[in-house]
This record gives sequence, structure tokens and C-alpha cells, in this order.
Amino acid sequence: MEKTLKKDAFAEWLKKLPSYDVYVPVEDDGRFNYEIVGNAGAIDESFTNAVVGPKKVVFPQREVLLRFNSTNEKAPEVEEVLPEEKPAVVFGVRPCDARAVTLTDKVFGGDFADPYYWRRRNNTTLIGLVCTEPPSANCFCTSVGGSPAGKDGLDVVLTSLGDRYYVETLTTRGEKVVSDGGKVFGEPAADDKKAAEKVGTEAAAKVERQVEGVNDLTENLRDMFDSPFWDEESLSCIRCGICTYLCPTCHCFDINDEVLVPVPLTGERVRTWDNCQFPDFTMHSSGHNPRPNRASRLRQRILHKFRYFVENFGDYQCTGCGRCIIYCPVGIDIVDVLDKTAAYER
Amino acid sequence: MSDNTYIPKLAEIIDINEEVGGARAVKTFKTVFLNGDRFSFLPGQCAMLSVFGKGESMISISSSPLVEDYLQFSIMKMGRVTSALHEMETGAVIGVRGPYGNNFPMDEWKGKNLIFISGGIGIAPVWCVFQTALGNRGDYGDITFVYGARTSADLVYREEMEKLAKELPVHLSIDVEEPGWAEFVGFVPQNVTDKKPSPKDAIAVTCGPPIMIKFVIEALKELGFEDEQIYTTVENKMKCGIGKCGRCNIGGHYVCNDGPVYSWAELKKLPQEY
Ligand SMILES: Cc1cc2nc3c(=O)[nH]c(=O)nc-3n(C[C@H](O)[C@H](O)[C@H](O)COP(=O)(O)OP(=O)(O)OC[C@H]3O[C@@H](n4cnc5c(N)ncnc54)[C@H](O)[C@@H]3O)c2cc1C
Ligand code: SF4
Ligand code: SF4
Ligand code: FES
Repeated sequence: MEKTLKKDAFAEWLKKLPSYDVYVPVEDDGRFNYEIVGNAGAIDESFTNAVVGPKKVVFPQREVLLRFNSTNEKAPEVEEVLPEEKPAVVFGVRPCDARAVTLTDKVFGGDFADPYYWRRRNNTTLIGLVCTEPPSANCFCTSVGGSPAGKDGLDVVLTSLGDRYYVETLTTRGEKVVSDGGKVFGEPAADDKKAAEKVGTEAAAKVERQVEGVNDLTENLRDMFDSPFWDEESLSCIRCGICTYLCPTCHCFDINDEVLVPVPLTGERVRTWDNCQFPDFTMHSSGHNPRPNRASRLRQRILHKFRYFVENFGDYQCTGCGRCIIYCPVGIDIVDVLDKTAAYER
Repeated sequence: MSDNTYIPKLAEIIDINEEVGGARAVKTFKTVFLNGDRFSFLPGQCAMLSVFGKGESMISISSSPLVEDYLQFSIMKMGRVTSALHEMETGAVIGVRGPYGNNFPMDEWKGKNLIFISGGIGIAPVWCVFQTALGNRGDYGDITFVYGARTSADLVYREEMEKLAKELPVHLSIDVEEPGWAEFVGFVPQNVTDKKPSPKDAIAVTCGPPIMIKFVIEALKELGFEDEQIYTTVENKMKCGIGKCGRCNIGGHYVCNDGPVYSWAELKKLPQEY
């Protein structure tokens, strides 16, 4: 289903979605993030991409799994705490980040489908925004199977055409938010579809970074487990974990109990994002650590994304959003690292 | 009952046996589910135990599935959760979720001789397989147990072992000489070499500290065992138990789902990341 939306009617559309948590990219101190806003007027024309992707809506940084209390002497009571059945809609999702959600879907699906994730995921509508320009000089989506106009994972796609958006609805979830908008939408003109396609193609041509030899990557990485390469590449890492926290495909988490009242015991079991770049991520209580240094942790990050995930789920676990390059405080650059593996003498 | 795997079932501790004292104490707990919950598992599988307010730990189920009255866990005191378990008394209630992981392929072993080799707390996963084999005695050939610890005071299940020694070959060892110790003195792999179990129609199951496993495997290979005849378990730090929290992997294998049981033929293909 195709429609158009005048940009100055955007706020009208949001008003028609009162039952949703509406997330819109909001600028603060030069950086964007998806925030719940009551009355957003528009998607800021200077929006590039958010520091934290829509991953935070389907898989929040901290969430309560259960509550326990032992007011009754003996057996504690355990209460499952599932997220509220509240629909959310995220506007301005970049195609790389929507595709990343399809990858976290794979992890949280399977034999032990994760009820917390799926409660949120099934209530979340992702409204994409085609990149008119690559949001950053470090984007490389086209190397890893994506594109600035990619549709994987999106429910609705908006393409900016001057003062209007071209609106494509892809799923039933998408149809719901578009039909809720009712008369705010117009009908597309004859050549709007073509014009919208052109936006995507032109943006794709402007994606500057490419991973060399990307087709051989998984094969190249097969023999590199014991290579000194990882020592060389990881020397400057300060184990801050930014690369992995901000990665839209990274899903690792920790589970801990937080005590609210010690007696009678009341508390919550909480899951929080965790990070393979932290030394204690894998450290046993005995002190033994199977990934005891930066080299083994960088190796884990790269091999997980470009080899293990391919083996387990048939896809790279990277959508080329560029965040790990942009925000790494010491300039470790995943595209450079991958390029070097292609050329590395084994 | 919820089908949410993160929600533990409540279980009461009905019996506690102090196996080993000291800083790395070991206690064996028997638990029964409250609220009529049940749980069926296979030898080698584990459960995630909760002490509410402290957290969760992955622990091998050391009783056999043939025992229906309780689940048994033998637990070494390490950090937050296991220390809290060691503080508990009978009647206390813990959480149990699972079972998780794969199992020893005991069906494939029918008709074979079984040799169990373990060290220290490594006996926990082995004990379940051993008890299951004893329970189905007719299905297997000879059963041999080789078990060792640092000192005689560190031997877990010592009483049971001594009873069993009347029926089957049980070869105990301690690392250094002690007055009154009549059995083998030396490391577990040396005891294996000393007792020379035959590889003919045999399966060896070995669990213990990684360094012990390494040398036991070398000793078994010396004796002519093939990689396919040797089984072990792998331990890595775990949180979810279901392949999602991302920390227990060896290469692309998630030990919580794809392990913890591996034949040496499988394990030696994986990178050394455990
Ligand atoms: C498959 C498997 C089976 C196991 N079976 C047994 C057993 O039968 N008996 C026994 O005594 N121990 C067993 N362990 C080890 C046991 O899980 C850890 O000793 C225990 O989790 C330490 O927790 P803690 O809270 O006391 O220590 P802390 O140091 O406070 O650890 C904090 C948390 O980190 C995780 N963690 C830390 N070390 C480990 C580890 N080595 N393995 C798994 N998770 C860890 C746990 O979630 C733990 O709660 C097993 C481990 C695995 C992976
Ligand atoms: S690995 Fe880096 S570039 Fe790839 S999706 Fe994650 S943050 Fe983006
Ligand atoms: S962002 Fe850079 S410095 Fe920080 S953990 Fe990742 S690679 Fe290391
Ligand atoms: S324990 Fe979470 S992935 Fe294995």
C-alpha cells in the first residue's frame, strides 16, 4: 500500500496514535536518540542516526524478569514480570537498524523463545526512513547485504521527497498505524514511486566504505583463531564496551538479583546488557578466564559477527551501521580490521 | 505453570550432606519440588539453581533420572550463590529451572564397559551417569570407577564409594601421601595409567579440572582409546542457560545448549576457549 504524507502533517499523524508509545529521534547536545515524545512536530531534517538504535525498544538496557518476596516465612513468592502489552511505534528507523532487529529476532527466537523480547517485539512497529545521504562517513551497509533503502524488518518505509514523504506499508502492523492516520495521508503522484527509488539508489552510491573481499570473509576467518593478528589489532582497546553496547545486533546480557528490602527479602531479578569486551564477562569464579586478554575479546567480537553467526544463523551479525567505528574512543575500526584479515598472511 | 523458562520452580532442600570442609567446601543437597512441579531430564543435563537475592548458578544434576523422589546437587562453595547455598539449612527453598544442555548418549553405550574417571567436584556430572548405569546394570558390561582428590578429606561421595568398592573396581587416589592411606598416591591420570583399563568395547567418561581432563585423555590415548570412546563435560561461565546471553561459547558452540557433554572427537575440533 503506497501513500504520501506532507511533512507538516506528521504531527497530525502522531496525534492519531494515542494508544502507542511514540518514539521519535530527538536531538540533544548534537546527538540524536529515540525518545518518547508527546507532541513531536516532525522528524528533524538534520537527523542522521541515533546513538542507540531501536534495539533499546525491543531489548531494553535494563529490564525486570521477575520479583521475589518472602513475606511468608518459608517459600518465597515468585512473580513473573512480563513487559506491559503496550504498543510502541518508532519513527525514523534507519534500514541497517531494522535489519539488525531481524538478527536479534533469530537469537531470541528458537527453542527457548524469549518471552520478554517477543512481548515487546510483537508490540513494536518500526517506521523506516530511507537514508537520503549515508548518515555517517563510516556507513558500510552495502558491504554486508544491506542498503540505504533496505526494507528488512520495517513495517512502513518513509522516503523523503522534498516537502512530502512517500509512504510504503509493508506489514499488517504497519497497516494499522497508517490506517489510524486516516486522512492525514494523500495519494501518490504517478512518478513518486520512481522518485523514491532514485533516492535510495543515489544514497547507495554515496556509501563510501566497503569491506574488501567480503565474500571470502567467513572463509578467511576460519583459520585465524590462533593468529597473532588479534594481539596486533587489539593493543589500544581500553575495554570500554562501547562498540558492543551500541551495536544494534549485539544481544549479550547479564542476569542479577537486586535486593529492594533485605528483611523480609524482597527484590527483583534483572537483566541488563552485558558486553564481551569486559574481562569478567567470561571469568569463572575460580579466576580462570577463557578469554583472558584484549586479543581474545576482539577475536570473539569479530568471529562471532562474521563466522559463528554465519554458521549458526546464516547471516553476518553486522549491518554496517558504523557505530562501533564512530564511537570507539581509540579508533579501532571494524572495516579496517576486516580488510586486514583478507590480506593477512597465514 | 508458566512456560517462561526464566521463571524457576520452587524446591525445598530436604537433605544436606557435608562432603568436604574447608575453604572449598562441598555439600550435597537433595531437593523436592513444591507446588507439584516436575522436571524430567537425562544424565549429563544441568539445572540453574536460584538463591533469591543472590542470583543463579548452573549445577549438574548428580542424581539419576531413575530416582524420582528428589534431585541431587553436589556443590562447591565458590562465590555469591554457592556460598549462600552452603549457608542454607534443610527446609530452605531455592529456585530450579531447566533442565538445560545435552546429555551423555547412554543408549549408544549399551553392551559396553564403562570407565568413570573424575577428580574433585568433577564427580558431580559423572555420578548421575554412573548411578544410571548401575540402575540399568544389565545394559552395560564392566563398570570401573577411578576417582581422586587432593587429600582424602577432599573426596566427595567417599562413603558411597567405599560401599561400592565391595561390588566393583573403585580406584581412589590422593595427590600426596597421608598416614593410613592404602590406595594410590598420585594424580588421577597417573592412576589411570597404573590401572590400565582396556579400551576394548569401552567408553571412558572423565570430568574434573581442565588440566586433569587433558592428562587423563593423554593417558587414555596411550592405552589405545579412540577419540570417539572418550566423553567429557565442559564448564564455562553461564547466565541464561539457553544460548542467548552470549558468554559460554567455544567458537560457535554454546556450551549451555550444545554442551556440556562432548566426545573428545567433537571437542578437539573446537578452539581452546574453555
Ligand atoms: C554446565 C556446568 C555444570 C556445573 N556443575 C557444577 C556442579 O555440579 N557443582 C558445582 O559445585 N559447580 C558446578 N558448576 C560451576 C558453578 O556453576 C559455579 O561454581 C558457580 O556458578 C559459581 O557461582 P557463585 O555465585 O558462587 O560465584 P561468583 O563468583 O559469585 O559468580 C557469579 C555468577 O557468575 C556465574 N559463574 C561464575 N563462575 C561460573 C562457572 N564456573 N560456571 C558457570 N557459571 C559461573 C554464575 O552465574 C554465578 O552466579 C557447573 C558449571 C557449569 C557451566
Ligand atoms: S558491528 Fe559495528 S558496524 Fe556492524 S552493526 Fe555492529 S556497530 Fe554497526
Ligand atoms: S569501543 Fe573500542 S576501546 Fe571500547 S571496547 Fe570496543 S574496541 Fe575496545
Ligand atoms: S549461558 Fe547464556 S549463552 Fe550459554
